[in-house]
Amino acid sequence: MRDRILHLAIWFVSRLVPTAEREALMGDLTEEYALRASASSSSAALRWCLRQALASAPPLLWTLVTRSAWISTAGVALLAYVAVGVVELAVNHVFVLSSARPDAVYNPLGMAVTFPLVVLIGYCAAALRRRAPIVLGAMMLCAVTLMTFSSTEAVPAWYRAAYFIVGPAAALMGSVWHSRRRRV
Amino acid sequence: MRLPENPLGSLEHIVLLAVMRLGSGAYGMTVRREIENIARRDISIGAVYATLVRLESKGFIKSHSGEPTPERGGRAKRYFRMTIQGEGVLRNTHEVIQKMSAGLKGLQAT
Repeated sequence: MRDRILHLAIWFVSRLVPTAEREALMGDLTEEYALRASASSSSAALRWCLRQALASAPPLLWTLVTRSAWISTAGVALLAYVAVGVVELAVNHVFVLSSARPDAVYNPLGMAVTFPLVVLIGYCAAALRRRAPIVLGAMMLCAVTLMTFSSTEAVPAWYRAAYFIVGPAAALMGSVWHSRRRRV
Repeated sequence: MRLPENPLGSLEHIVLLAVMRLGSGAYGMTVRREIENIARRDISIGAVYATLVRLESKGFIKSHSGEPTPERGGRAKRYFRMTIQGEGVLRNTHEVIQKMSAGLKGLQAT
């Protein structure tokens, strides 16, 4: 039973490191376990090994995420998408409150206010991960497509059509703005 | 003297010093032990590996595989050694720390 727990702990930690370092890390833990088991007791060595496995997970997971470029790009795009959602909600809320009509959200002025804010979000996303605005644009395109086919709400056609173009275009404009500023 | 372009984080600094102290015997577990013994800092093997990987990607250390040994379950060690860039960044960081702390009271080692 003890051996199984030890192997499970070592296996768990080893899954969090790249293949190149996996063997060495497993060997290090095995070696230290054997040393501690002979110096004190195998249950104390096992407890140490389990503590190591738990404490090792956060830094190794963080390294895994930051080393995998696509995961960080997707993460930044997701955060930017949430930010776009918050901006849209806030703008819509302001328009509904100011006119007291629920259909006031379908307003070209609202779109005009949202557009530069989405450009700014695209710019910030590009500053963190260069390709994040492209992923953000694709996410927005997918979301609008899904909403078009799944929503039963009476949304004006012009509004849907505009969102097909405006959202992704704003995100990409943020990216272009960022790359131009970098060149300057 | 100026700050290095790719400055060292606090843990990177300690790990790099441990690699330097251990010389040809620096591998994951010895680095962890050295930090625990000298700096009295409880550090996980995962944090050591994450830092070693980062230092290697920055070009401050290089690694090579050793021979597999039975006490390690037949697994090879991964040895680390400092590069010239690593020595340079360490020297530069120490110069900055020394100059910044020169004349400050209460910073003497106890």
